[in-house]
Amino acid sequence: MRTPAACRSSLAGHVSGSAMLALVSLRRMVRSRQSAVCALLLAAAGLAATAWSLRHGAGFQEFVSEVVLPVYVSFLLPMFCLCCATPSIAADREEQTLVYLLATPLPRPMICAAKYAAALALALAWTMATWAVLTRFAGPAGRALFRPFCPAVFWSTVAYVGLFHLFSVVLRRATVVALVYALFLETLLGNMPGIAKRAAISFYTECMILDAGAKMGLPPTVGREPELLLPVSGDAAWTVLCVLGFVFFAAGVWRFSRAEYA
Amino acid sequence: MSASSPGTAAAPLTEFTAVSKWYGPVIALNDVTLHLGPGVTGLVGPNGAGKSTLMKLLTGQLRPSLGQVRIRGLSAWSAAAKACMGYCPDVDAFYDEMSGRAFVRIMARLHGFPARLAAERTEEVLRQVGMAERADRPLGSYSKGMRQRIKLAQALVHDPELLVLDEPLGGVDPIGRAELTALFRQWAAGGKSILLSSHILEDMDTLADRIVFLCRGRVLASGSLPEIRALLDDRPLKVRIAASRPRELATRLLQLEVVLAAELTGEDVVVQVRRPKSFFASLAEIVVEESYDVERLQVIDASTQAVFDYLVKWNP
Repeated sequence: MRTPAACRSSLAGHVSGSAMLALVSLRRMVRSRQSAVCALLLAAAGLAATAWSLRHGAGFQEFVSEVVLPVYVSFLLPMFCLCCATPSIAADREEQTLVYLLATPLPRPMICAAKYAAALALALAWTMATWAVLTRFAGPAGRALFRPFCPAVFWSTVAYVGLFHLFSVVLRRATVVALVYALFLETLLGNMPGIAKRAAISFYTECMILDAGAKMGLPPTVGREPELLLPVSGDAAWTVLCVLGFVFFAAGVWRFSRAEYA
Repeated sequence: MSASSPGTAAAPLTEFTAVSKWYGPVIALNDVTLHLGPGVTGLVGPNGAGKSTLMKLLTGQLRPSLGQVRIRGLSAWSAAAKACMGYCPDVDAFYDEMSGRAFVRIMARLHGFPARLAAERTEEVLRQVGMAERADRPLGSYSKGMRQRIKLAQALVHDPELLVLDEPLGGVDPIGRAELTALFRQWAAGGKSILLSSHILEDMDTLADRIVFLCRGRVLASGSLPEIRALLDDRPLKVRIAASRPRELATRLLQLEVVLAAELTGEDVVVQVRRPKSFFASLAEIVVEESYDVERLQVIDASTQAVFDYLVKWNP
């Protein structure tokens, strides 16, 4: 049996401690109010998709322009990420329980990474589950889109979680700021003419979706004026989302490693 | 179970070297140099003296603006230093939905213990703080005293050399206070170093081997209470003596050079003395020579409260 001293000074100890922290954080988030909100959103998405399929029963072009882009990409996806990522560090700060974590010998970057991992896992579960429900309940038009659009949902979730986790590290009122960002700033930036919209994460999600849709015969700027959207290629959008996800995560870890939380 | 440290074993356990900390224009700690050794060190000061800042610097929540805080030669900010340190914060915050047992076990796991060892350590420390039989309810349903005990258990679970206890007796009933005080003394006797803050200064009289008096971010005095009291030259020690023939005794004592004043209060004599050691030696001789029957001998103003009052009045 390892002695206490050997446990706490070993890399294996740090890794198992971080894994435990990720697990505990995940468990707490699953039982939180935010999860109740996510469950309601998921149920609402299912109902909306069912209602849409009863009214239209149409092809996937309408589904993309009437449901996927305005409801899922612009609202549901950022909301799920917000609900999962903003409480990761901010809730511990607000509830004053962060002090226990900071008093452990876990290196700060590992604490931050564990919290991020828990938030990302839960956010992916919600966004993917909702995407599955949405496409399933929308009838044949929706079902055909499930697989091709999954990468866009996945990488968009990674980028949003990275951003909202960074908010959580930096700001005490992270949820309020994230809500303002998700509901106003993203919408505003996403609808700006020219290249200004490239500052919005949803723009790259949209580009990945449209790129994947083009292979299924969707027009390259479905529901949008081509001169207003100015899309980038699917590969470029994927690269940007990957880089954003990594940069936001790294910035969060860097900041958390240096910040005084007292 | 003894603890070894990841830092240099030969390095002092805890040292503050010319530490200052400021928040914008406000100086919270000003050029503090301290060494903490084994035993219980009490941290005393009025509100805003810098006690919390000092503790947060030691537990690596804050970084000094100037100077260094080291635990076994490692920066207190570093993760490695925290393996030597257990912290019981003053905030009454927990993961309320968890049971006390689960919370302590999780803290053990976060310290890197494998599941079985974490469970063993958890049971051991819960037994020590008297919570082994009561730790299965959710933390949210605990009394203040029970929550304090769980906070102590999580601080102790990795068997640290240094325990930093911020107001550990707050909200604990008198019986619980006595139990916890005995526990702190037991840990100190076992070689642990304990830094303890409490706004109830009577606690310090019975608990602390050494006291650090802080005021306005500066260390006013540090050392054992008798040592500090002896340094207060311009504050003669007040001694109450309950003895037979008090009037005669007062007259006799006034003849001593070290006695500045004597006062009769009821059946007792209260004398103000300089150089207490010399006074007590002379008093013993007089009592034997004159066959006084001494019922009680009490130093009135050598308590933590009295010394604290003198020190703070010196630094208005």
